[in-house]
Amino acid sequence: MQAALQYIFSGLAMGGIYALVALGFHIMWSSAKAVNFAHGDTLMLGAVLTIMGIDAGLPLPVAAAGSIAASCIFGVLLERFAVRPFAKSATSIGWMLTTIAVGIMLEALVTMEFGGFSRPLPSPGVSQAIFIFGAGVYPQELLIPVFAIAVMLGFGWMQRRTLIGRAMQAVAFDRNAAALMGINVNFVFALSFAIAATLGGAAGILIAPVTQASSTMGLIIGLKGFAVAIIGGITSAPGVVIAGLAFGVIEKFVEGYISTAAREIIGFSLTILVLLIFPQGLFGKREVFKV
Amino acid sequence: MQRLTCPLYLAAIVAVGLASTSAFAQQEPCIGNSGPLTGPAAFGGAAVKYGAEIAIDEINAKGGVLGKKLRFVQYDDAGAPPRGVDNTRRIALADKCIAIFGGYHSTVGLAQVDPVNEIGIPYIGTIAANTKIIENGKSPNYMFRVSAKDKWVAQFLVEQAIKSSKNGKIAFIYENTGWGNGAIPDIKAAMQAKGKELVATETFNWNDQDMSAQAIRIKDAGADTLLIWGLDREGNQILRSLDKIGYKPTKIAAWGLAGNLGELAGPLANGVRVMQTFSWMGEMDGKTKALWDKIQKKYGLKDPSDLKMGSGTANAYDAVYILAKAIEKAGAYDWKKVREALYTVEHDGLVAKYSPAFDKSNPERQDAILPQFYKLTAWHDGKLLPLAQTPYAVSQ
Repeated sequence: MQAALQYIFSGLAMGGIYALVALGFHIMWSSAKAVNFAHGDTLMLGAVLTIMGIDAGLPLPVAAAGSIAASCIFGVLLERFAVRPFAKSATSIGWMLTTIAVGIMLEALVTMEFGGFSRPLPSPGVSQAIFIFGAGVYPQELLIPVFAIAVMLGFGWMQRRTLIGRAMQAVAFDRNAAALMGINVNFVFALSFAIAATLGGAAGILIAPVTQASSTMGLIIGLKGFAVAIIGGITSAPGVVIAGLAFGVIEKFVEGYISTAAREIIGFSLTILVLLIFPQGLFGKREVFKV
Repeated sequence: MQRLTCPLYLAAIVAVGLASTSAFAQQEPCIGNSGPLTGPAAFGGAAVKYGAEIAIDEINAKGGVLGKKLRFVQYDDAGAPPRGVDNTRRIALADKCIAIFGGYHSTVGLAQVDPVNEIGIPYIGTIAANTKIIENGKSPNYMFRVSAKDKWVAQFLVEQAIKSSKNGKIAFIYENTGWGNGAIPDIKAAMQAKGKELVATETFNWNDQDMSAQAIRIKDAGADTLLIWGLDREGNQILRSLDKIGYKPTKIAAWGLAGNLGELAGPLANGVRVMQTFSWMGEMDGKTKALWDKIQKKYGLKDPSDLKMGSGTANAYDAVYILAKAIEKAGAYDWKKVREALYTVEHDGLVAKYSPAFDKSNPERQDAILPQFYKLTAWHDGKLLPLAQTPYAVSQ
């Protein structure tokens, strides 16, 4: 019982990380119909820049704010130069390669500047584990899924209630019609990438005390985050969050009751199985492309 | 027809070129090294460079070897075996270096075994500890090492574990890589030699963020001592997962945890014992201090803790001296003669007293540093100190 509880807590923390990455994919997809495939590296950028800021003598809040701002700018530049020229129509796929390329370049650059070692991001949230019915968890770990749910609710509210949110949905539905209605499509694209990157940078800072910051930290979480986005249905924010948390918990139970080595095999088998049964993801809406 | 013959000419020229290098057998006074200069293990390349260059500077200041000044030539392999093989050929055939030093990654070292023995250039490992790099079954074997050997490390760690364990139950957790998997048979054999079995054997992957499942199983097995075969990043996650389930076994690790575990895990790292061949931390003796001052000055390091994988630096430093003595004994910059001379070198080094450095009659003794020279260090308040200088020495 205590072990099961431990797996649930640890799984929610890991799942929260996947959910945060998957939400980034959702935000980009839900207006631009394109994503930054290397979104995991945006989290890495947020975490690494914060530590570099602290190294340079800045206080933590300033370093964090600076790195979130830098992540936002990164998102805008990425959209402008690596996505927009390659996503002229809804069926273009050039952006897949270009965003992956940017991610690899970013990783190499960070390795040169930041070094190859993992570095800790100090936080009071990981100094002492708290025990709930005998299962230990760091407060920081609990914060991750909470933050993911908050982002999900906030973005959902924005989509439904604000003009810009509706514009994003309109652009996603039909970019040509939206443009004819007077919506600045390019601005909406840039905005969605900026929001995703800003949240990504913040998420990176949030998870770094748990995962440690390193140039390669974005790779696996980016990949799993994308898998989770597809399983949950990339068009549904609650879908990707539920899928993310569930994926994290399932992984822990596989590790706990079957074996550590079986984790990826079972995890990705489940991914394929879900897609066979629900091609749009568990909570996704069917999307119609007009040719 | 013209098209076909052209490559043939080229091949002929290359073949003549290759033949001529071995015919004249006069190599250059340089020491080559293939190691990670970029990527996550770049510190491993730097560690070797520091030790080798300082030793070379010292030797050159006294006039070099056989009247020639030594040089150090380092190429990047980023941990990729094919690049390590390319670099090996480049060092041996283009630069014609008298010897090649091994780098950080065992996978690269294993890939170098064949080209090194085909070409016949003496290779001296300085970090990578995989047993089969040296015990490769080749004869004549050009692979030597002035570093730890996993087989002996396993025996050393198991001995320490048995000494510190109260209930005799020892568990093992290792990374799922060439290095980690290579250690399982060594650890099991070392346990068996002591008439014991591991109560739990667990594994993890690079970048895993949580090891609570493994930690719970190890705890359930009743182990009071845990052997760890992994690197700092995952080592930190192991410590955190142990902490989360409120379980405090004695932790004894191979030298993968000799990097920045103290920084990553903070107080949780306190008391983790790590095997090393050398420690730059804590109180230094005169010789070490003088050497550290040189390293500090030349490479702008602030604190000994900036010297990651410092064992590699000390190993490379000793390896240069052993090689220099062998060249002098051989009386020529000649691969074959130097290889023979390596078996006769006596040297009182930084890490160990080598008498002789290598033993021709024993294939196990192409490794120079015997387990009796391995050192146990322990993390204490962010520093990895010799065990005797920590509060954990008494509990041994």
